Amino acid sequence: MAKVKTQTIKRKATRQRKSVVTREPAKKEIFGAQQVAVEQAKFYPPQQASRPARVMPQELPFGYGQDKIILQVRDPWWIHAYWEVRSQIFDALREQLKDDFYKARRVLRVYDVSYIIFNGKNANRFFDIHIHEHSNNWYIDTGGPGRSWCVDFGLLLADGRFITIVRSNTVATPLAGPSWITDEEWMIPDDAFARLYGMGFGFGRSSPVGKAWQERLKKALFSGVFASPGMASPVKKIPGARKFWLAVNTELIVYGATEPDAKVTVQGNPINLRPDGTFTLRFALPDGKQVIPVKAVSCDNQEERAITPVVNKETK
Amino acid sequence: MNKGYLCLVLHCHLPYVRHPEHENFLEEDWLYEGITETYIPLILLFERLLNDGVDFRLTMSLSPTLISMLGDRLLQDRYIKHINRLIELAHREVERTRWQPEFQHLANMYLGRFYECRNTFERYHRNLADAFKSFQDAGKLEIITCGATHGYLPLMEVVRPSIRAQIKVAVSHYEKALGAKPRGIWLPECGFVPGFDELLKEAGLKYFFSDAHGVLHGSPRPKYGVFAPVYCKGTGVACFGRDLESSKQVWSSIEGYPGDYNYREFYRDIGFDLDYEYIRPYIHPDGVRINTGIKYYRITGSENKQPYNPCAAQEKAAEQAGNFMFNRQKQVEYLCDFMGKKPLIVSPYDAELFGHWWYEGVMWLEFLLRKVVFDQDQIRLVTPSEYLAENPRNQVITPSLSSWGWKGYSEMWLQGANDWIYRHLHAASERMTELAKSYPETGGLVKRALNQALRELLLAQSSDWAFIMGTGTHTSYAVKRTKDHLLRFARLYEDIKAGAIDEGWLSDIEYKDNLFPEIDYRVHQ
Repeated sequence: MAKVKTQTIKRKATRQRKSVVTREPAKKEIFGAQQVAVEQAKFYPPQQASRPARVMPQELPFGYGQDKIILQVRDPWWIHAYWEVRSQIFDALREQLKDDFYKARRVLRVYDVSYIIFNGKNANRFFDIHIHEHSNNWYIDTGGPGRSWCVDFGLLLADGRFITIVRSNTVATPLAGPSWITDEEWMIPDDAFARLYGMGFGFGRSSPVGKAWQERLKKALFSGVFASPGMASPVKKIPGARKFWLAVNTELIVYGATEPDAKVTVQGNPINLRPDGTFTLRFALPDGKQVIPVKAVSCDNQEERAITPVVNKETK
Repeated sequence: MNKGYLCLVLHCHLPYVRHPEHENFLEEDWLYEGITETYIPLILLFERLLNDGVDFRLTMSLSPTLISMLGDRLLQDRYIKHINRLIELAHREVERTRWQPEFQHLANMYLGRFYECRNTFERYHRNLADAFKSFQDAGKLEIITCGATHGYLPLMEVVRPSIRAQIKVAVSHYEKALGAKPRGIWLPECGFVPGFDELLKEAGLKYFFSDAHGVLHGSPRPKYGVFAPVYCKGTGVACFGRDLESSKQVWSSIEGYPGDYNYREFYRDIGFDLDYEYIRPYIHPDGVRINTGIKYYRITGSENKQPYNPCAAQEKAAEQAGNFMFNRQKQVEYLCDFMGKKPLIVSPYDAELFGHWWYEGVMWLEFLLRKVVFDQDQIRLVTPSEYLAENPRNQVITPSLSSWGWKGYSEMWLQGANDWIYRHLHAASERMTELAKSYPETGGLVKRALNQALRELLLAQSSDWAFIMGTGTHTSYAVKRTKDHLLRFARLYEDIKAGAIDEGWLSDIEYKDNLFPEIDYRVHQ
């Protein structure tokens, strides 16, 4: 039997990341009711849409009218809980508890239910987390890899009584290191396993068991560190703070016009004319001297004109 | 005789991004860049190896969303437009760089590559999934499946029917696209929770991959570490653990190969570097500068970037492929003595690393495959199926909950920036289960609405959205996609229950979210 006693958790405030309800500021949704109506009018004859159209919700609902709490495992130490309780439930409790209701605190009671079939009373141990009235989710530091957890959301009364409002699913945190269980048929000595373990994490043969995993965390050898999902976001790497810079390049535009059916070469290379006989060429202009002979020959090869711009560019 | 095996795995995935309602859509470029920079270069690589009689083995996952996009007419047509624009730009670049020979040969290189892309794309009748299929049919490539929309399964534990749907939809989609049953699966983000293997077995899958700690922290202790697969207790589904030594040589941002100074600099793209008026027709119509894929500089190692030199880069890639092989030989030699059996080294990578991020990555892979096949006999390339056929006796353990994401578990997809999505996703999953139960048999409009509801749910579940929200940059598209699909689902649910399905609207979202045409909502059980 677990003792009904509030165990105040003494964890650093920073470790308890209280997470607020994340709600995006209401943005214009493409599939707003109006838009849908417009699209329908565009794609389908109006008589088909004569049925009173159901309005497309603009935003996700705050809740789903359920009373529940769901646990998910984040890593060997932390689990995440989110919950939803209808206001009627609180109304009923307020009615029932009268003044006590206002003195009660909202609490997450975290049960260690490893290796048992939990019946609400037989937890290995439990601890409470006080929750702000408006919270609807919480990250819980279980401090216990490789164990099973169940959480009640409820009221802790001033006299120490705890009233469960909703009970969660049970989750199991993974081990944060190798299992201590070995398999007789596939026996391996500890030191031999330690070597394989270190090598599996890519840290050579001598890393002690467990250490390799920590090392790996430090080195951030994970997918997604190097590449984003799919392709790169179309954004340039942001230069470091206060890294002032300047880039200057020069280009040269050579343009002109002749008879539309003439043959034109620039520096000996034929170019295409626009239908009206004009042309534009654009060159990156490095330092130095560029001699740019432009030659036009009439379509009957009878006439020829040549103009040769010379450009000197230097950078100081 | 070989002393060990090397199993190279490339994971190919892109989220489903297709917006027929917009003429141009920035995020569709992910696919076009993937095709130009990764998928076609890989296809050309496999073709060269086949032509030269190189008996290589490679395992590749193709996510159902990627296969769907590759097979989509609209996106195929848009890719042609995209590559034509690039060809035009490359032509202009060849001209513009006439007085800069150090850049002009690069402009010519890109021009050649873009033409090659268009030709290859047309050669496979615009569907590149068929190209990969042909290499599988030739016995060189083993293609495995993935979650239907790459949903991160560990955060669906409370809604198991959704996990089942992710897997079953993927398996039937694979069969339709590739004409055979998949033997293995790449669990999205390697996300595994003990017990998922039951669902894999149910779907006829024989193996999956996990990150190293999935196996190493499994129970009982795996006798051979990650250097032999294990069977999951109770199901016999094989789990292949990732080797991190080989991974880090490629992945690590500090010591990894892709950071070599001779390699092409990803962040210097002419889309950002050149004069705005000039580049304007080739960037986003809104005027936002984007990467074009034409990049002229090498990493250099300082801010004063030097022009890219393809020959020096190629030499480097060859050298590093040799280094990678040498390290595997040493690794295998040591392990073979130590374990008293032939070790298996499993090296999985995101495919888009090759070619897209690491421009020389495909070249590196080619050198590696050729060298391993021709230059040595200590290591042999193998696919998981081949390995299991040759080594059917393996230890039985329960692998640990794990992923290959940031910190090794679920934090990437469950943190302050994205945890709000799960109450909605789970509620939608529960509603989908309710619908599937309420309509064991149905037809007509109701059936269409139910199938579309499952499509919307699956699309909302893509791990990519939570991932992007988690990275904290450019989150608006990810948030919007999550909400759009959830809202469409919600309306379908309400309409089905009310018996008031709006056919016009349904047709419209069927047209927009058109993947998995053969979906059967009843898999969500």
